Amino acid sequence: MTDRDTRDADIPAVPKRKLIDAGFAVVIAIAVLSGAGVWITQGAGRFFEILGQDLLFAAALLPKILGGILLATGLSLLIPRDRVLAAVGPESGLRGLAIAAAAGAILPGGPGLTFPLAAGLLASGADLGAGIAMVSGWVLLGANRTLIWELSFLPPDLVGLRYALTFFVPILLGLFVRAALRGRA
Amino acid sequence: MNILIGTVLIWAAALWVIRRLAREEGRMAVFGRRARETFLYILPRVAVGLLSAGFLAALLPEERVEALFGASAGVLGLLLASVFGAITPGGPFVVFAIGASALKAGASEGAIVAYVSAWSVVCITRTLTYEVAMMGAAFTRVRILVSLPVPIILGLIVNAIG
Repeated sequence: MTDRDTRDADIPAVPKRKLIDAGFAVVIAIAVLSGAGVWITQGAGRFFEILGQDLLFAAALLPKILGGILLATGLSLLIPRDRVLAAVGPESGLRGLAIAAAAGAILPGGPGLTFPLAAGLLASGADLGAGIAMVSGWVLLGANRTLIWELSFLPPDLVGLRYALTFFVPILLGLFVRAALRGRA
Repeated sequence: MNILIGTVLIWAAALWVIRRLAREEGRMAVFGRRARETFLYILPRVAVGLLSAGFLAALLPEERVEALFGASAGVLGLLLASVFGAITPGGPFVVFAIGASALKAGASEGAIVAYVSAWSVVCITRTLTYEVAMMGAAFTRVRILVSLPVPIILGLIVNAIG
C-alpha cells in the first residue's frame, strides 16, 4: 500500500458500513407501516400495484444511481484534498468565502469530517463568515449527497433548479455575517 | 425523458473522471473497492426508500397535501414545509423519500425545495449531535439564524418560476 492508498482509505464515501443502521431502520419501518396501511385501506391489489411500480422505477433508476456513485467516488479521489485544504487558509475577501464554500461542497465526508475542518479553518485565523460559508456550502451544496441521494429520489430538473438557485447562498451568508459583524463593531 | 438526460450527463462526467483517475497509477483499485462498497450501501436504501415514498404517497390525503403544501398554499405552506424539514430526523434518504412522496401527492416544487433546504441548514439531529459539540453554540446559533430565511426564499423563487 502506498501513502496515497492509506490516505484514500481514510475518507469513506458514505459514513457507516453497517448493513442496517438507525436511518435505514427508520425507512424500513416507514415502508412496512405505510405498506400495511395501503394493504388494509386500499386492498392487496393496490399494494402490489405500487410495489411493482416502484420496484420497476428503482430498476429504471439503477443506471443513474450507478453513474452518480462512480462520479462521486471518482471526484473524491481525484480532487487533491491537501491542496484544497491548503487553499482554505484564513484568506479574506470574496475569494476566501468562495474557496471556503467550494471546499465545503466538494470535500466528501459526513459531519465528523466537515465540522473539524471548519473548526480548523477558524482556528487558523479565518473569520466567522468563512466558517459559515464552509459549513453552508457543505449542508446546502454537498456534491456527494446530491449526486448519490438527491438525484436518486427527486426529479433531476428540480434538483438542478435547487442547486443553481442555492449556488451562491453560502457566499451570500458569509458576506452577510461579515457585514453584520462590521456593523456591530 | 428527464431520467435519460440526467443519466447521460452523469455518465459523461463519471467517465471523464474515471479516465483522469486511470492515468494515475494504482488508484483504480481503491476506486473500484470504494465504488462497490458505496453501491452496496446505497442500493437497499434507495429501493426501500422509493417503496416508502410510493406507499406514503398513496396514503397521504391528496386534497390535504395540496391544500397545505400546494402552489396555492403560498408562504404559509413553505413555512410549514420548512418546519417539517428542520425537525425531520435521520439521514438524506429519509428526507428525500418523504420529499418524493409529498411531490407525488401534490405538494408544490417550491415546498419540496423549502423542505429539503430547511433540513439541510437546520437538521436538528445533526446540529445537536455534532455542530454544537464541535463548533460551539455561538457559531451554530449565528449560522442557523442567518440561514433561516433561505428555505422560504428558495421555495418562493421556485414556485414563481415553475
